[in-house]
Amino acid sequence: MTTQKSNEDRIALLQGTLDLLILKTLVLGPRHGQGIARQIQRQSEEVFFVDHGSLYLALQRLEDKKWIGARWGVSENNRKARFYSLTAKGRGHLIAKTSEWQRLSRAMGLILDAEEA
Amino acid sequence: MFGRKRSTEDFAAEIEAHLALEADELKSEGLAEGEAHRRARSEFGSVSAARERFTMKDRIAWLDHLRRDLRHGLRGLWRNPAFTLVAVLTLALAIGANASIFSLLDQALLRALPVRDPEQLVVLSFAGATSGHRHSEGGSHPGHIHEFSYPMYKDLRDRNTVLSGLIAEAVGSVGLTWNNHAEPADAEMVSGNYFEMLGVRPALGRLLVASDETTEGANPVAVVSFDYWRTHLAEAPVVGRTLLVNGTPFTIVGVTAPGFHSMVFGHMPAVYVPITMQAVVEPDWKYLKDRFSYWLEVSGRLRPGVTRAQAEASMNTLFLSLRTSEFPLLHDQSQEQRNEFVAASHLNLDAGAKGFSPLRDDVQMPLTIVMGMVLLVAAMAIVNVASLLLVRAATRVREFSVRYALGATGGQILRQLLAEGLLLGVAGAALGLLIAPRALYLLIRWMSGRSMDEPVFSPTLDWRVLAFTAAASLIASLVFSLAPAVQFWNPRLADALKQQNGTGAGASLKFRRTCVALQIGVSLLLIVAAGLFVRTIRNLHNVDAGFATDHLLAFSLSPEMSGYPQPAIAPVEQRVLDALTGLPGIRDIGATNDADLSDDNRTGDVSVTGYTPKPDEEFDVELPWVSDHYLQTLGVELLAGRYFNSSDTATSTKVAIVNQIFAKHFFGSPGAALGHHISRPNRTATDSMIVGVVRDVKHNTVRDPATPMAYTPFLQAERPSGLTFYVRTWQSPEAATNSIRAAIANIDPKLVMSDVGSMTDEIDDTLSPERTVALLATAFGMLATVLAGVGLYGILAYSTAQRTREIGVRMALGAQRGAVVAIIFRETMLLAGIAIAATVPLAMIGTHAVRSQLFGVSIADPAAYGAGIAIILMVAALAAFLPARRAASVNPAQALRTE
Repeated sequence: MTTQKSNEDRIALLQGTLDLLILKTLVLGPRHGQGIARQIQRQSEEVFFVDHGSLYLALQRLEDKKWIGARWGVSENNRKARFYSLTAKGRGHLIAKTSEWQRLSRAMGLILDAEEA
Repeated sequence: MFGRKRSTEDFAAEIEAHLALEADELKSEGLAEGEAHRRARSEFGSVSAARERFTMKDRIAWLDHLRRDLRHGLRGLWRNPAFTLVAVLTLALAIGANASIFSLLDQALLRALPVRDPEQLVVLSFAGATSGHRHSEGGSHPGHIHEFSYPMYKDLRDRNTVLSGLIAEAVGSVGLTWNNHAEPADAEMVSGNYFEMLGVRPALGRLLVASDETTEGANPVAVVSFDYWRTHLAEAPVVGRTLLVNGTPFTIVGVTAPGFHSMVFGHMPAVYVPITMQAVVEPDWKYLKDRFSYWLEVSGRLRPGVTRAQAEASMNTLFLSLRTSEFPLLHDQSQEQRNEFVAASHLNLDAGAKGFSPLRDDVQMPLTIVMGMVLLVAAMAIVNVASLLLVRAATRVREFSVRYALGATGGQILRQLLAEGLLLGVAGAALGLLIAPRALYLLIRWMSGRSMDEPVFSPTLDWRVLAFTAAASLIASLVFSLAPAVQFWNPRLADALKQQNGTGAGASLKFRRTCVALQIGVSLLLIVAAGLFVRTIRNLHNVDAGFATDHLLAFSLSPEMSGYPQPAIAPVEQRVLDALTGLPGIRDIGATNDADLSDDNRTGDVSVTGYTPKPDEEFDVELPWVSDHYLQTLGVELLAGRYFNSSDTATSTKVAIVNQIFAKHFFGSPGAALGHHISRPNRTATDSMIVGVVRDVKHNTVRDPATPMAYTPFLQAERPSGLTFYVRTWQSPEAATNSIRAAIANIDPKLVMSDVGSMTDEIDDTLSPERTVALLATAFGMLATVLAGVGLYGILAYSTAQRTREIGVRMALGAQRGAVVAIIFRETMLLAGIAIAATVPLAMIGTHAVRSQLFGVSIADPAAYGAGIAIILMVAALAAFLPARRAASVNPAQALRTE
């Protein structure tokens, strides 16, 4: 069996978070949808569970916004797949949103920690 | 993807690729081939659902978003039931009041007559001198006399070339007898072409046609109005049956279509008869052949292709030649009279889609004032809800900031705010429209007072009102939902997150303060207006009419409506007077044909023997016929000579009593008037000797100044008619009603008593517009004050909560609780004071515009302003009390820890 966490420990992705995670995943280079899903799950230590239907719609949405580009290619194990890559516009958005997110989570942390004290 | 839509097949291929890749990976992790495929597929979820979502995404995205926004909005509102309730009720009241008053305004001022092509109609009026008798129901102004003689009407109708039709009508009160049951009703005397020209259809039978207007007294046919047919004739098959009008049999030929009443807005006749039957409707007058009896209201329809200006020019040529031919018939043949009668005469053709209406003149100003007040209240309600939303939004800064950080766009947040606003607007409008018809119904009932007539206004909201309300609520919801959006548009997120309390909300706090100041201003305006109108009503009630109005019962009796022939009318009236005089509880009884303080008048000019009028002298005199005890019953003081008494009979010397103004004008003093003779011009039979002079009393309404009067005994009248009786009672006037009814029925059960009521009620009826305005102004003023109070409370509660820490610091440093309360109160009073100072001059300008509706009260009336300011300050203090107490109870240690 794989090292999957039980469903109770997983967190459904908040609206808007998925976009940010997809963009982040693509920073290191083009990837296909299945690779992106695996990457998010793996990097979040299996906390985030990516609903695949939502993932592909999110990809489509980002593509419509021209934050990512897409083209058909061939995977390392020789399968046909649609590869996504970050556009300059997407990179800019990612930077802005990341700093915002960090400030938010820092502030959240400050408050939540302070309350425990 | 540039501009090209991605195909569904491509999307499906991508999913297939995903499943293959996932299976590969699972296999490499050690799963068997089949198991790996099954797992990949199950992890993905429903492939077909994903494909469906892809194909549907563009189509349903906006619907989906809308649904989600509305759901969010609904949930948001649900979480704050107190806020939602206040906001929805505020809007509902504002929208309901708006819809109700606009319905009245629409019916009276905006709506076209329900006839064919109303825009082709023109209303005729003229300028120029009149001579003889003018029978007016109001609505005429100098230069716009709306009453024409019958011969003039016929000449204009038959000899013009620019109108496709010209119609005339006049209204009169009659007694209708159906199945041996008599009751008073309104009858409209109409020209034969009336219905044809207006394009009104019959609901039953036929309507009147040109051939129904032949010669005097020869056309006893009648058309019944739809409402009367339904409510009084039980929708019976009436065509061909006989209806008695003032005792004369008429054959009913048809019933009008529902919705039509008259070419005059405000007329609600029960029955229509040909003009030629005038003598039946008004037995005391013979108007038909007289060129100098002005009594018909006239409207025309333009021929296609003829403009109003062309028609007016053409009609004026005709009118001038007719006036020239009338001039030689006048008594006064001076050059001056010629100038006024011929040269200065002019015929006006005014746009008539809405019809002529004396009523409209009466209600225009009050309705406009009330509509203005309602709009102020509505504006206030919107500001109030906006500031409530702002206060609420401030507490949600963090919620929105988090959502923004999580990737929600400004547009999405804006959309949700709009959705909340829209929900509030729709809920408020729905509730408002639910209550509006009921409120309108009550208002109309209240306005028509004791009158049993069919009200002119109908309590139905029509599409215009619906459109108006929908627009108002849409604009309202947009306005107030955008207010908090301004705050979030590009918010400084980090700041919002870092700050525990919204100290950065200085700008929006200022905005909210402005809102509250505005509300205070508007409510002060409305309270002052209410104060002025209420004082007006009180003044009108306290006006010295010249006689005591209490313990006075009034009722009308019209023997001609029960079919009494002319010679029998005065005797039966005298019998009623005699019979009632002996009843217990009755102090005195009198009667007149010209009811007092009920906006009735019967004026004419009089000739005084031995007095040569100045050339341009116009002196209209009120000419009531009264019973011998009338003046004593009212308590009109005698200044010289004697009252009438029982020796003044039909056969004795004709006598008259005049009032002070009359005596002063013609003779200089009351004493000098005695013994002089007066008569109606050119009617020697009316010659009477002045035997007494009485003090001036108010006659038309309590508003109008006293007018010259010449009373004569009704027994000596040329043409006896119905009378209004006044009974002075010992106890309450209403208590005497039953014994009076019994006594009259004892004389003749056919006699109909109408308009029974106390004199004070009667005065109230003439003050109906003023009372309505005063009532509504008071209601709106109170509503506005409550709204301002809620708004003030909201902002104070909010700003106090924001300042918890500051207050804690102050208290930690030794500030007393009293000092904290004082801070809050000072802030409140400062705000209220500034608002009041800014409003008072505006209020004076505003009330200046309505001064014509005021009576005996200055537009700067200190009492109204003083009371208004006192009320505002009281409400402000009340609104400040709770937040101040909460602030004073702050625990310093806790307040400092909350940071």
